[in-house]
Amino acid sequence: MSDKDRDTDRDIERPQGTRAAARGPARLDERRDVIPGAIGRRSLLRGGALWLSTGLSSSALSALLAACNSRGPDGAEPLLRFAERKNEGVERWLLRHTALDRTSSRARAAGAAFPKYFVSDTVPVWDAATRGTWALEVAGLVRRPLRLTLDDLMKLRSVTQRVNHYCVEGWTAVATWTGVRVSELARLAGVLPDAQYVDFQSFDEGYHESWDLQSATHPQTLVAYGMDGAMLGPGHGAPARLHSPVKLGYKNTKYLTRVAFLPERNGGYWSDQGYEWYAGV
Amino acid sequence: MDEEVPSEPAVVTRHHWVVRVTHWVSAVAIVVMVGSGLRIFNAYPAFARKGETFCCWPWHGTPAPDWLTFGGWLAGARNWHFAMMWVLVAAGLVYLGFIYLHGEWRDLVPRRGDPRDAWEMVRFYLFARKEHPRQGKHNALQKLAYFAMPIVAAVTVLSGIAIWKPVSLGWLAALFGGYVWARYWHFLSMLAIVALALGHVFMVIATDPYSLRSMITGKYDERLCPEARNARPFYHLLPRWARRDTAGAGAGPDAGAAGVPPRLQS
Repeated sequence: MSDKDRDTDRDIERPQGTRAAARGPARLDERRDVIPGAIGRRSLLRGGALWLSTGLSSSALSALLAACNSRGPDGAEPLLRFAERKNEGVERWLLRHTALDRTSSRARAAGAAFPKYFVSDTVPVWDAATRGTWALEVAGLVRRPLRLTLDDLMKLRSVTQRVNHYCVEGWTAVATWTGVRVSELARLAGVLPDAQYVDFQSFDEGYHESWDLQSATHPQTLVAYGMDGAMLGPGHGAPARLHSPVKLGYKNTKYLTRVAFLPERNGGYWSDQGYEWYAGV
Repeated sequence: MDEEVPSEPAVVTRHHWVVRVTHWVSAVAIVVMVGSGLRIFNAYPAFARKGETFCCWPWHGTPAPDWLTFGGWLAGARNWHFAMMWVLVAAGLVYLGFIYLHGEWRDLVPRRGDPRDAWEMVRFYLFARKEHPRQGKHNALQKLAYFAMPIVAAVTVLSGIAIWKPVSLGWLAALFGGYVWARYWHFLSMLAIVALALGHVFMVIATDPYSLRSMITGKYDERLCPEARNARPFYHLLPRWARRDTAGAGAGPDAGAAGVPPRLQS
């Protein structure tokens, strides 16, 4: 749930009529009914084209302008889905475990400016009094299901990496993450050959996102418990979260509790709402 | 007088159907790409990495007006953007491949005399020169604009791929100076495309509305070309013989000049 949701001041955009909209529209989610043609067409007419404007150009223009700020024709939906599937094919073909994200040495760490999105109404905090000790479950198509407390997790071979975080909104943020590679967890649990997908599940209102196995086992995909040299804070997904530069932020489940290896993909919180499921970087 | 009202129409086939189809497909695709791109941009209408400032964008946090955007919301716009990009790239490649194989590239690639001719066009448009400079299929300014379009488009496509896959294709992003800069170049080259396209549409309306026919049916009446009309933006939209009838209304600095243009190559 990395950037899954709310910052102090902003959300990733949701489709209309969802939970977030009921909670009050996010600033970027506002969709006003505008009449775009009115301004654009009039100024164009005023500008010239005096005798021509009645013809084809004005009707084509108004058709184009009428489409503005709309979702486009509904009939395009199957085509857009088709394109998404084809794009996933291209993205999978491009994915290399040897292609690593690098940050410029001049890039400043985001630090406190690193946005903190989550889907609950308040910052999700693991309450040991009601929930017991936090543990990470590694389950599904594995020979040896694991149940790791934070101490167990921190005893595993760890990786510290300074990488970019790519948000679907277009911003990036640099941080240094410490954690255990998902590929290491997969090795310890003994993933079965049928597992092609991995679902990363959260205690934050059941948030989850499923990944393709190849991206999940990329060497820069971590179950992170440390950030910028400190333990992960509640705003960033404590006690542990998924973090990887090879997927957009919303695929990087925060407040992680379960890693399930699956034979089929299992959708995800944001991908079920219309964002790309693959979302590779 | 007779030679100024030719009895035979000088209609030529100006644009091959491949050029016409790729032109209109690209036009629609560019509108959708720009609109959906602005919708995506509005999700983070800035360029700075979090925790940094960005040197070269004074409008940090200012979104594009809603009515310029397409796709409705971030995910919708992204879905459109990542679908339409293939249409635009395919149309562009077909167009470039065709004009290379079919020879039309010769009408577009700048030649040695073009800077001089472009300057003459500027002088003509500024009324510093009476007669429209001689031209081939396009005037020198047009050639420059049409030649620049695929180059700017290539920058937009490559920087777009760089910000789509900054890890998988990290070398490409690095070529543009990293993700943040690639996003910036993507935006600026988009603005350049919009500027070229708006200039193009303006000039079509203001100086050569007859060329709209040639981009639809392919046919162009050379008696109506800007050179024959001695046309500047909004000046001499009607052909010479029609202006002659309106008792001096259209008599410009060129009145009395020979009205029949040289035949152009189709």
